[in-house]
Amino acid sequence: MRSIPPSGAFAPNPTSPVPEPVLSIRDLVVEFSTEDGIVQAVDGVSYDLYPGETLGIVGESGSGKSVSTMSLLGLIPQPPGRIVRGEAMFQGKDLLKLSKKALRRIRGKDLAMVFQDPMTSLNPVLKIGFQIGEAIKTHNPKVKDDAVKQRAVDLLKLVGVPNPERRVDQYPHEFSGGMRQRAMIAMAIANEPSVLIADEPTTALDVTIQAQILEVLKKAQDETHAATILITHDLGLIAELADRVIVMYAGKVVEVGDVSTIFASPRHPYTVGLMDSLPKLTAAEEWLTPIPGQPPSLISRPPGCPFHPRCFLSQGRARCREEEPPLRPIDESAHLTACHFAEELEGRAGHLVEPVGAGT
Amino acid sequence: MLTYIIRRLLYSIPVLVATSFLIFTFVSITGDPLGRLRSNPNITAEQIHSIEHSKNLDKPVIVRYGYWIRDAVTKQFGTTLFGNRKIWPDLRRVMGHTLQFILSAIIISAILGIAIGVYSALRQYSLFDYTATTLSFVGFATPVFWLALMLQVLMVQIFLKWNVRVFYTSGLSSSVNAGHGFHFLLDRVQHLALPVIALCALSTATYSRFMRASMLEVLNSDYVRTARAKGLIERRVIMRHAFRNALIPLITVIAIDFGALFAGAIVTETIFTLDGMGFYFVNSLFASDPYPVMAWLMVVATMVIIFNLIADILYGVFDPRIRYE
Repeated sequence: MRSIPPSGAFAPNPTSPVPEPVLSIRDLVVEFSTEDGIVQAVDGVSYDLYPGETLGIVGESGSGKSVSTMSLLGLIPQPPGRIVRGEAMFQGKDLLKLSKKALRRIRGKDLAMVFQDPMTSLNPVLKIGFQIGEAIKTHNPKVKDDAVKQRAVDLLKLVGVPNPERRVDQYPHEFSGGMRQRAMIAMAIANEPSVLIADEPTTALDVTIQAQILEVLKKAQDETHAATILITHDLGLIAELADRVIVMYAGKVVEVGDVSTIFASPRHPYTVGLMDSLPKLTAAEEWLTPIPGQPPSLISRPPGCPFHPRCFLSQGRARCREEEPPLRPIDESAHLTACHFAEELEGRAGHLVEPVGAGT
Repeated sequence: MLTYIIRRLLYSIPVLVATSFLIFTFVSITGDPLGRLRSNPNITAEQIHSIEHSKNLDKPVIVRYGYWIRDAVTKQFGTTLFGNRKIWPDLRRVMGHTLQFILSAIIISAILGIAIGVYSALRQYSLFDYTATTLSFVGFATPVFWLALMLQVLMVQIFLKWNVRVFYTSGLSSSVNAGHGFHFLLDRVQHLALPVIALCALSTATYSRFMRASMLEVLNSDYVRTARAKGLIERRVIMRHAFRNALIPLITVIAIDFGALFAGAIVTETIFTLDGMGFYFVNSLFASDPYPVMAWLMVVATMVIIFNLIADILYGVFDPRIRYE
């Protein structure tokens, strides 16, 4: 596609020295006040996103993975939500301290988002082309209407919507779920964002469509060179797309590392549990192995490690109950874990089949 | 779309035929229009028979239905039973009056209701929202006859105290100074104001509640979040993405209300002696004259059908998911 020129010089190159992160989040705390009390949805999350990389954020429902990114864009309803503290540096500015107006200028332009459910995320009464064009026009008010429309057609073509000249004038209900998600991706990359956040982009889709959408996401990333945050609970998706992985549990980051490292040698019992709970094609098993117990209530957090009541490694050790484990480097510097006894997992390989086509 | 409208209109023909039959039979069997004459000792049985014969009242109901349909189609509902007064000119006049009355009431209450509902939703749980909620419940709970009477009392008191005529308390125009052009319009407004206010109290309450609920639902929808994520200014998010979608359910409510109100707000029209549909109906009933009642019922049935059709068409205009082939 010639219509989208490369917008940045940061081609992903794993051998070069560590570049400056495009997005740097420090100690983010987000609360929601509910009738039962204050829910700490995100509790002190820090991570960096580097140019051109795909960062996977994985965790159960309610682990704070979506909230941590949506709060950056000012998309959580406030109230009941509240960003208590933290810092999110992006292009030299702290997103959390920007005015509404300044944040709006970044939203959809430099920081774009693809949402989970394409069936409900598009406005049913507006044409697809209009909805894509609106994203362009808001940030480039001087562009002529027919140029906007042409760009919408090009974008639809880029994300693999067949017959885009005709489709651009159709309404969302005339699109299938997969096609709608393609349109959502087209909308998100319309302004060549430097960061693309994909919040469970395939969860609501048919399995056969998921692979296609992943291809589109990869292609969109190649075209725009956007650093991508991929939020999912699907480890297969992480293996397929991500370069690095953040594992979240109960609003906290519990493990960070390269995708190959995490899958080959997970160093947090929760990550191990997640992998064990996946069905394996190689073994004939009658039952899956779930993680026992329930995620903790985020209203009254247990003291100590949030995972200890469900942990197979803890074995009732007092330290797990009393002392909250910090996120610390293990093995090599880029691999972080928040477990007191991570070393005991040494030699324990992930059960997942080798990641296919991981990385770029 | 055009084929859809034509088809719907064709469908409504059998509905109207069935309605006309039901109307005629039920009105015919519910009372003897000559009852009062029969009990009058000055009228002989001969005279009664002669009236029955001349008006075909001695024929079976089904035959009389045939005569009535013939008159309805060829002679615009024919004449009244007593006095041989033509029905259609009267009916057309009261329809016009009712139309002025309810059109003003619906337009005003729709604008007010939508504005209040949207603002309440945008400022949910604010002082404004609570006030609007409370007032709308007051609006629901206030009987229209009471409100109408209170408004009349208020205007009379103002007139007595300061000798200022703000609004008239009955009728449609003052015969003395109902001039032409602007003066006529002003006079009409002064007459219609009180009944419109009385009618608006309930409709505004209904519409604002509807709009608030609908707007709240839409504001929490995923596509509004998408619109925000695109970086649209908030006004555009609200107007283009939320408002239009939130309006869709209200359109149906208003259009159907229109059809229903066309039957005339009987209580309001009676209290304000408005020469409208409701007033006409009540007077015809009291005169125990079946033919104006039947004609009135037919007109109302037709209006309900038409406004249901309009509701469906508007639905299709606002919501592209609904297309009529």
